[in-house]
Amino acid sequence: MNLLRKIRSVGRVAEPAPAPPALGPGVDGDLAARVRALRGSAQVRCVDAGSCNGCEIEIGQAFSPVYDAERYGARVVASPRHADVLLVTGPVTRNMAGPLRDTYAAASDPKIVVAVGDCAIDGGVFAGGYGVQGVVADVVPVDLHVPGCPPEPAAIVEALRKVTGR
Amino acid sequence: MNPVALGLAVASAAGALAVAAALLAPARVRVALVGVLTAVLGAAGMAAGGAALAGHIFTAHVSQLLPLAGVYLAVDALSGVFLSVGGAVVLAASVYGIGYFRHSGHNGHSGGNGRAIQVLWPVFAFSLVLVPAAASVSTLLVAWELMAVSSLLLVVSEHRRSAQVRSAGVWYAVMTHLGLVTILIGLVWLASAARTETFAGIAAAAPGISPVVRGGVFVLVLAGFGSKAGMVPLHAWLPRAHPEAPSPASALMSAAMVNLGVYGLVRVGLDLLGGGSRWWWLLVLLLGSLSAVYGILQASVANDLKRLLAYSTVENLGLILVGVGAAGVFKDSGFPVLAALALAAALLHTMTHAAFKTLLFLGAGSVLHATGTRDLDDLGGLRARMPVTTGLFALGALGAAALPGGAGFPSEWLLLQSLIHGLVVPGVTVVVLLPVAVGAIALSAGLAVAAFVKALGTGFLAKSRTPAAEHAHEPPPAMLAGMGLAALACAGFALVPGLVGPLLGRAVAAAGLGGAGADQAAGRLSALGSTLSPLLVVGGALLLVVLLRVLMRLVARGPRRAAPLWDCGAGPLTPRMEYTATSFAEPLQRVFDNVLAPESDLDVTAYTESAYLVERVAYSRAVPDRVEHRLYTPVIGAVRRAGTASRALANGSVHRYLGYGFASVIVLLLVLAAAQ
Repeated sequence: MNLLRKIRSVGRVAEPAPAPPALGPGVDGDLAARVRALRGSAQVRCVDAGSCNGCEIEIGQAFSPVYDAERYGARVVASPRHADVLLVTGPVTRNMAGPLRDTYAAASDPKIVVAVGDCAIDGGVFAGGYGVQGVVADVVPVDLHVPGCPPEPAAIVEALRKVTGR
Repeated sequence: MNPVALGLAVASAAGALAVAAALLAPARVRVALVGVLTAVLGAAGMAAGGAALAGHIFTAHVSQLLPLAGVYLAVDALSGVFLSVGGAVVLAASVYGIGYFRHSGHNGHSGGNGRAIQVLWPVFAFSLVLVPAAASVSTLLVAWELMAVSSLLLVVSEHRRSAQVRSAGVWYAVMTHLGLVTILIGLVWLASAARTETFAGIAAAAPGISPVVRGGVFVLVLAGFGSKAGMVPLHAWLPRAHPEAPSPASALMSAAMVNLGVYGLVRVGLDLLGGGSRWWWLLVLLLGSLSAVYGILQASVANDLKRLLAYSTVENLGLILVGVGAAGVFKDSGFPVLAALALAAALLHTMTHAAFKTLLFLGAGSVLHATGTRDLDDLGGLRARMPVTTGLFALGALGAAALPGGAGFPSEWLLLQSLIHGLVVPGVTVVVLLPVAVGAIALSAGLAVAAFVKALGTGFLAKSRTPAAEHAHEPPPAMLAGMGLAALACAGFALVPGLVGPLLGRAVAAAGLGGAGADQAAGRLSALGSTLSPLLVVGGALLLVVLLRVLMRLVARGPRRAAPLWDCGAGPLTPRMEYTATSFAEPLQRVFDNVLAPESDLDVTAYTESAYLVERVAYSRAVPDRVEHRLYTPVIGAVRRAGTASRALANGSVHRYLGYGFASVIVLLLVLAAAQ
């Protein structure tokens, strides 16, 4: 009973949430409309299109207790059928181009694609490799970019906050 | 004129005409003519049974028909249950047969429109009507043998198809005749003790017969009638013979013929012998529980669709025997209301089982007709090509799984209720056995769900696993009509089981459970419609589905979009990724490993260059019938050894044979002299 009373009397002691980041300049109205349609809740499906796993570790950190992207309304789900947001990492290898396209087709509308890491944006150190088909934008339309090799968890959280608008 | 007599007369006339048509009509119209006439036979039998259930009693003695004894016929409400069930099954199966036999020349089967099958069909159907109407020992035995022989010939009618059919025929022939022998000995013993062979006379004389004779008679007829009803361990013929018969004949055997084993047991045990001792019925209860669990366990790991259904018959007949056994125990312990309820549950389950098993076997026949295979592993994807058959099979499977909304639910529920209320009965054995029986019913109901989800899910849903299943097609309209009739019965039992309550009350009273208890139970059964209304459950469930659809429409935003099936990005889904019947049953098989004792064989062949490079992996699995393995193999071996040993006695010398004859006459005279 004491414990319950304590919980009630103390209340929340977390820092106030930082102001939500703006979507930024150069973003077309269509993306803004899709972000509004998500209404602050983004179900995220991660697709490793051929990365070195560095970005995956940072994504894992972004959802860890330290960075905790879930408090901003982003949540990792297990199937693109449940997802609004695709978090794509790595250069797109020949084997993963088809599955990436299928994943994009399987996600429900409206959907947002976030390319995470340098490789996803321009191929990074793997650009021009024999097994590399291209960058993510060559395969599916990309809405947001998170540069870095690998990007910091804070940057990934920042991108996800743009999507959730919180 | 008595409506029962009229029905039986019409049935006999239709049967005779059908036999004549099968022999004389040209091949073009033979199947249709025989089918229609046999359907009339079934309808007349059903009407006669219905009239008997409505309270009309019929007795007749035709002295010219059989030498010495004559034919005694009597139809009361108890016979009426089995008469109407048999007639109804004959009706549905005959309508189905019009389509089935005309077309079964496909897929490598021998044609079903030949004279032999077409003559046997009405004969078998008529014997099913005759057995419950028999009212003397000799009439019953003649009708019983007619039924056994005609069904045996139907089982082996497709003997050219495979050696399995012939083996099934041998098993069936031997076991049904051993059963006949035990029934014969038992009933003749009873008749000689009662000094009359009519059932009415035996029932009157039974209280004066010594308990030892009555016990002996009961054990003998239990063995005979029990083997016909597929009671473990005398069930071995059933899962062999039922799958190999042409499908309409399988339906007749599995839904109508096996019931007559129960009829015989109830008629002789409860009616003629008047109940007897408690141990009789505890034995029936125990064997019934064993059959229920063992049967459905084997069904849940069976891959052959018709074999699965045959094992499910073993299960359901086991449940019926549990009800009969419980009725006997309750009667002996002085609880007539409970006894009447338990027997009513057993009789109701007889009816519902007949309805859904007819539907399932006819559905299996349509699958066999469309694909040429019964192996569930080779089917799949039939829903798209045989939507009507799939829907009807699903209705039957729902009934067999004993879920609310299915035909089997009301009767199993009533059975469970009567057993649970029976826990007030005193006695150590009863107190131990009744909860075991309740557990057996619950376990078999659970396993039945698994077995029929497997049958429907792996057989009809998902994608086709073989080209045969891919090119399946709906059966001709006559077959669909036959299945439709059975489905109608299923829906009736599932939705308004209360309608048969008063009829069951009369049948229970006719089974020797009369008196105030039966009246009270009949009142309870009449109220079955108001105390148990699955109609509400089904209606509620349907309403919920409709509401959900409407709600989804209202909540959904944006237009609908078609997208390819999500395959985890690993390429298109293929039938190889599906659950097969084997893989679906694998966890169950693992759980019941100790009971089923499956035999699996993994054979890995390595390349000669290296033991680590695998060239070929062969896996095979078989779930042999363990009872058969453990019990029948030693017995058959012993009989064979005895036969080989006794061959030494017959060395071909005429002198020796004359000596045997002389010696036996001397011994007989000595025995008679000593007995004087």
